[in-house]
Formats: sequence, C-alpha cells, structure tokens
Amino acid sequence: MALNDLLLDDPSVATPAVRGIPTREDVLRIDDLHVSVHEGLATAVRGVSLRVGAGETVGLVGESGSGKTLTCRAALGLLPAGCRIDGGSVSFAGQDVTAASRRAWEAIHGSQVGAVFQDPASYLNPSLTVGAQLAEVLRVKGRLSRQQARRRALELFGDVGLHQPGRVFHQIPAELSGGMLQRAMVAIAISCGPRLLIADEATTALDVTIQAEVIDLLLDLRRRNGLAVMFVSHDLAVVAELCDRIYVFYAGQVVESGTVEEIVHRPRHPYTKALVRVASGGDFRRRHLEVIPGSPPQVGTYMAGCSFADRCRFALGPCCSGEVQSVVVGDQHEVRCARANDVELSEELLPV
Amino acid sequence: MTATAPAELRLDGGGAPPPLLEVESLEVVLGRGWRANKVLSGVNLKVNPGEIVGLVGETGSGKTTLARAVVGLVKPRRGRVLFDGAPISGLRRRALRAHRRQGGVQYVFQDPLRSLDPDLTVERIVGEGLAIRGDPPEEIRLRVVDALAQVGLDASLMSRDPGQISGGQRQRVSIARALATGPRLLICDEPVSALDASNRNHVLNLLSELRGSLNLPIIIISHDLGSLAAIADRVVVLYRGKIVEDGPIDKVFAAPRHPYTALLLASTPSVTESRSLRAHQLRLQEGEPVPLLGPGACVFAPRCPFALAETCSAQPPLTGVEPGWSNACSRHRDWPNLARGRS
Repeated sequence: MALNDLLLDDPSVATPAVRGIPTREDVLRIDDLHVSVHEGLATAVRGVSLRVGAGETVGLVGESGSGKTLTCRAALGLLPAGCRIDGGSVSFAGQDVTAASRRAWEAIHGSQVGAVFQDPASYLNPSLTVGAQLAEVLRVKGRLSRQQARRRALELFGDVGLHQPGRVFHQIPAELSGGMLQRAMVAIAISCGPRLLIADEATTALDVTIQAEVIDLLLDLRRRNGLAVMFVSHDLAVVAELCDRIYVFYAGQVVESGTVEEIVHRPRHPYTKALVRVASGGDFRRRHLEVIPGSPPQVGTYMAGCSFADRCRFALGPCCSGEVQSVVVGDQHEVRCARANDVELSEELLPV
Repeated sequence: MTATAPAELRLDGGGAPPPLLEVESLEVVLGRGWRANKVLSGVNLKVNPGEIVGLVGETGSGKTTLARAVVGLVKPRRGRVLFDGAPISGLRRRALRAHRRQGGVQYVFQDPLRSLDPDLTVERIVGEGLAIRGDPPEEIRLRVVDALAQVGLDASLMSRDPGQISGGQRQRVSIARALATGPRLLICDEPVSALDASNRNHVLNLLSELRGSLNLPIIIISHDLGSLAAIADRVVVLYRGKIVEDGPIDKVFAAPRHPYTALLLASTPSVTESRSLRAHQLRLQEGEPVPLLGPGACVFAPRCPFALAETCSAQPPLTGVEPGWSNACSRHRDWPNLARGRS
C-alpha cells in the first residue's frame, strides 16, 4: 500500500512509556488525563482514560462542554491558551508525549497522528492552491522532491475520492465545496502516513449527503490503509454509524465505554440511555421527542459524587457522596455509575 | 425561459379554508450580470393555518432564499407571494415597512448568539418589535412576560443579556421575540442546528405545542430529517432552486418518489439499522456512465444514477401522484426497483 511506504516510525522501536501499561497494538493511549482551563481555575477533563487500537475507529460523544474536544486537543498537543495538562499521560504507540516539546510534537504531527476539524476552510490558506498546500507538507515532512510531491499529491487527492485530482490541485479553497475541502483536509492529514486520524466534529458542518460520503471515505481509508480513527462528535447517530467503540463523555469524565452495540442497544449508564433516546437518527415517525431534564454542570462546578445525579431519575444517596468509580460490566464495557449492577437499571428497556 | 403552468394536482377538500401563504411560480435571481445566479425557479408553495411545513435540501438549494422571499427580505424576479390573499412580493418601501411592522410573519434565525443583540437585555430583545410598532411600554412588559411564558422561560431571565443564558434558552428567547407580535406565520431557519440533542428536542416540541395551542403555521428549515419527521405535517424538498418533492411527511419519508429525497433519507445517520435503501445505492459511483444532457435537463440528473437521455432531458414539472403529494421525477415509477438492484 502506497501510504504505508511513507510510514516513518516503526512502533516497535519506540521508547517504552514511563507511565501506564502500553500495549503494542494501541496507537493512542490516554491514562487518567486531567486538563485545567482558565489558567488552572477549573478542571474540565477529570481523569479520562481511553485507548485507540491499531486500525480501530473509536468515537467520543457528549454534549458541548463535556470535555471531549479538550481531550482530543490534549492528545494532539494543541491545547488552547490557558489550558494545560494537570495529570495523567498521553502516549502514541507506547511513546509518552505528555510533556513533549514543540519540536517533538512536530515530529509526531503528520507522521503519527493527523487531524481534521469542523471548518476546513479556516485551516487552509485562502490564497494558495489546495495542491500547493498538500505538496508543501509532503516536501517538508515527507522530504519528497518537488516532482515527487506533486505526483504523490495527485495520488492522495484520488485516494480521498476527489474526482478530478489534476483540477483540484490547481484550485484555491474558495473554489471548492465544503465536502471537497474536507476531503482535501483528509488528504493533507493522511499525507505522511499517520496511523491515527483524529476527526473533531469533522462532518458537523456538512450536508447530510456529503456527511455520509465523508463517513464512507473514513471507513474506506481504514479498510485500505489500516488507519485508526478517533472521531469526536456531539451526534450519537454519526458516531454509531462509523465507530467500533464509543466513549460517552459527561462533565469531563468518561461515564460509559463499550462497543457500538453495547452503547446503543445495551447502555447501562442512565445518561447514555437518555442520550440514545434523544438521538434523532433513523426514526422517521411522528413522535414526541424526548428531552433530558436539567442541564449539564458548568465547567468547574461539579458536585461531590456522580455529576449526572441531579438529572438522573435513578439517583440514590450513594450517588451524591464520594467519587463514583468505573465498573467493568462486560468484555470492553465499563460504566461509571454507582448503581451499574442494580437490576432495576439494567432491566429498564429502551424504546429504540 | 417561459414559466410553465403550475401543474398542481392538490385536492384541498372542497370547502377548505384558503391557504394563509401562497407562493406562485416564484423566481429569484441573486447578483447581476455574469454573476447572476438563479436561486429559485418556478417554486409553488402553500401553507395552511395550523400546519408545520418542513423545508429540506442541501446548502445552496434555495431554502433560506425561499424563506427570505416570503418575509420580503428578497425581491423575486417573477411570481408572487400572497399572505392571507394579499400580494406582499410587490410591496414597496412604505407599504412593505407597514406590512413588516404588523408582525404577521416572523422569522427565527439559525444562530441565536449572532442574531440576538448582545448588548440588549432579554426584555428589550423580546419587546423590540412591539416598541417599533408603537405599543405602550406597560403593555409591552406584559406581552414580553407572556411570550417568555409561552416558550417556557421564567420572567426572571428578563434582565439578563444573551451571553448570560444557555444555548437552548437563547433559541427560546428568539422564538419568544417572534411570538411577541402575535404572528400568524412563523418561519424558523435551522432553529436547532446549533443545539445539543436534548435542547434540540425541547425546542422542536415547543414549536409543535405552539402550533397546537395557537393554531400557528410554521415553516421549519432543517437538514435533520429525523427530528422534522417527529413534528412536521408536510415536507418540501428543494434541489438547486426547484421543488422536487412535496407531500405529507409520513408518506414521503416512508416511500419517497424522488431519488434525491431517498438519498437524503438514506444519508441520515442512524443509530439503528433500519434503512430499506443505503446511500451508495442512490449515489452515482465513480466511472458510472452519465447521459449527456443539455441545459434545461432535470436538475438532479447530473447526480442521479437513474437518469436517462430520453426521459430526463427536460426538467419534469411538479406533478401530483396522489392528492397532496407531488414530485418532479420522470422515472418515479422505475427508480425504486432499479435502486434495490444496485449493489
């Protein structure tokens, strides 16, 4: 496979991680990550642990302010000003990058991890052709000659399903539609053969028909190149469509994680159950739309105990005192709920 | 291009009341000279009292332009817009302003954070239309409290500004602002696309309740077909400035007659696997032959895997298939079977 020829780093020669127990198959591993915002005044990510296996597609889902975007920013070494990692670790293929320098990140970006975001137009230079911007990456990071870079750029544009690569190469961002721009961004993100692509709300701004095409493209890249994808979205339906496993975020914590099947059809956490009920996907009948009463806590104003307790109709005394620990309820299924093993909760049926 | 006769086959059930809003062969061109772009052409639309109409289509299909033409923010080149039997598309400055001040048609914008003045309090925002209309201040205050109550917001929010309330509350404030003047038609342009799932459902339920309690007709522009199906009565599908399908939402979504409607439905992400057709069965695959069609051909033909040179070289008029349901596909009988046969 052409893309794999460009793989610069062999994970087996990576330096062993200091913290955590990295497995060779994990391309990304986050352990007990804490991220503070507003110059350390509030903690927005509170002990998130997750892993992305090689060639695996993993979804991060949650409402705005749940910490999913900060988690993925931390994993990219791109935390906004005023935010910093207060604890925990991030490692790529066994290599701890939590305290990596800017220079070290430069070596990681592109060759180990690529990223696409919600608004592709704002990440591209509006006055340079899309082709020149991709070729630049290939020349600087991939160390290709001008001619090789051009040839490779055309190949990559073809790989991401742009119909006339030769034409797109010479167009500036304003001449391309949103879907084409997002494809071009994917081409740039995968140009140096990363093993992981992080997509933060990458399809949110697109039309449904185009969104479906981009999802198909990501699935296709995984099949052809073994690319692992970490897909961040507020839309459970999109995540369910694309991913193998899902992490559900609430108030800066992962409240439930499991396979798509488990999260969508056998959710155990009351918040996940509520999220599945309010998700819009796939039902075209007239119906009363369910809502989750109350609103999520503001960053930094978390209660003792479970953060969802004030919105949860199953909350009991123990939910409101002391830290609620994650409970393993299945092979890959974990729930952070004090009543995770109560019969009353696990037997509540979902009207899906 | 000559305007084709509207081939409407809508049986309104004899003595039904006349539609509140009627759009007739509307054509809108934006830009001039070589930039001129025909955004809408030959659009016919009726909205009856108490009806929720969903307007769907992709970016650039003309949904927002149609909505803006209805409120008089865009001047049509051809055709008319009738509100309660009176043409409003031809109104000029003073008359148009008088029409707007009555507040009979209200518009709710997509992004409440950007459409609400950040320097005004909720009370001023909701009461602004009434103040412009010249209502006395004490009456305005009562109406504002009333409008906020209608959207389920507490009067204690009145002194806050838009930056101090949550996204869901903000969109409810925009709806309260629209309701304050006692509109007879509400147009919501992507009212929920900036909201989380729970808030989205809350706002949509609210719109559905308002239709019930006030018999208020609502046009909702949305790209979220699943949520629309929950509350709308009728769906109008736009593609490149033309209506390609218009009918009762439950019937249309159960068995769409236009391949574009089917593509939209199949592309909608789903938490359950319950689609009859998958998106790739309705998409033109790379390298698949496309018939060579000249200008004036069916607007969807360049993206349609079922287009034929013989049948699709002219834009089919919107034709009734059964009362209240029309579509603009000349192959509407053939394509569903062809689609099922595609891998």
